[in-house]
Amino acid sequence: MKARMQMSSSVVKQEFFKKWIKGMQIYSAFNKEMTIMERKRAIKLSADVAIASTRSATTQWSRAVVADVSTSAAGAARAAAEEILGRKLPERKALATTCSKKIVRRSHQRRSKAAARGVVRSSAAIAKKLVRNRTRVLKRLVPGGKKLDEISLIKETLDYIACLQVQVDVMRHLAAAAESLDHQQISF
Amino acid sequence: MSGRRSRQSSNTPRITDDQIIDLVSKLHQFLPEIRNTRRSNKASANKVLQETCNYIRNLHKEVDDLSERLSQLLSSIDADSPEAAIIRSLI
Repeated sequence: MKARMQMSSSVVKQEFFKKWIKGMQIYSAFNKEMTIMERKRAIKLSADVAIASTRSATTQWSRAVVADVSTSAAGAARAAAEEILGRKLPERKALATTCSKKIVRRSHQRRSKAAARGVVRSSAAIAKKLVRNRTRVLKRLVPGGKKLDEISLIKETLDYIACLQVQVDVMRHLAAAAESLDHQQISF
Repeated sequence: MSGRRSRQSSNTPRITDDQIIDLVSKLHQFLPEIRNTRRSNKASANKVLQETCNYIRNLHKEVDDLSERLSQLLSSIDADSPEAAIIRSLI
């Protein structure tokens, strides 16, 4: 992985903020009167694509976020994402995940059969199993994590968490600003 | 190994426990509150992974809550005041 991890976080924050705003403005252009739920979706999707875009496809998780948007977004969402990324998204493809789900289900059944046999495990084996289970959970939480080996998963996780922190930080600041405005108006 | 689907190609070197422990300790620095004094490496790896998953879940929830909060705030701001116009123009 490149040295982008060392990049100043305020630079990343600015880049994220600009792209996030751009995305939200595209939504507004499509629909002047959004419901609260629609606006929430606009805010969230713009934020997610914007933070992924600050990594410009150098990480698996950011690529997975963009791929997910490519397959599921349409209309305003798609336009906002394309504006943020600065390029057209590939054509929407049908998801090919049903096959892999079956495989995961089968391997899960295999594991519980071992437990059903009453196999007694040593504490080391139990610890190993716990780590394996937690790793599986982590794979689900980090976008694109399912296809990664353990080393890559942890590297991706480090980057992903750093970016999530930036995203939350900027969103908090905007919420605080909007909130203080709200209070000012009430006092008048 | 025949007949078994392996996750890695045969060219990838085996991941050592030390490498995992090293990376997991890097995860440590991101986690806001984990006081780990256990000696056992597997136990600490488990704890760190658990805290990491919880932390990511919390961050996800915060993004969701903030999106909802912002949506409410931005829709209730009166568009007439000049300061509000600036914020409103953002979305």
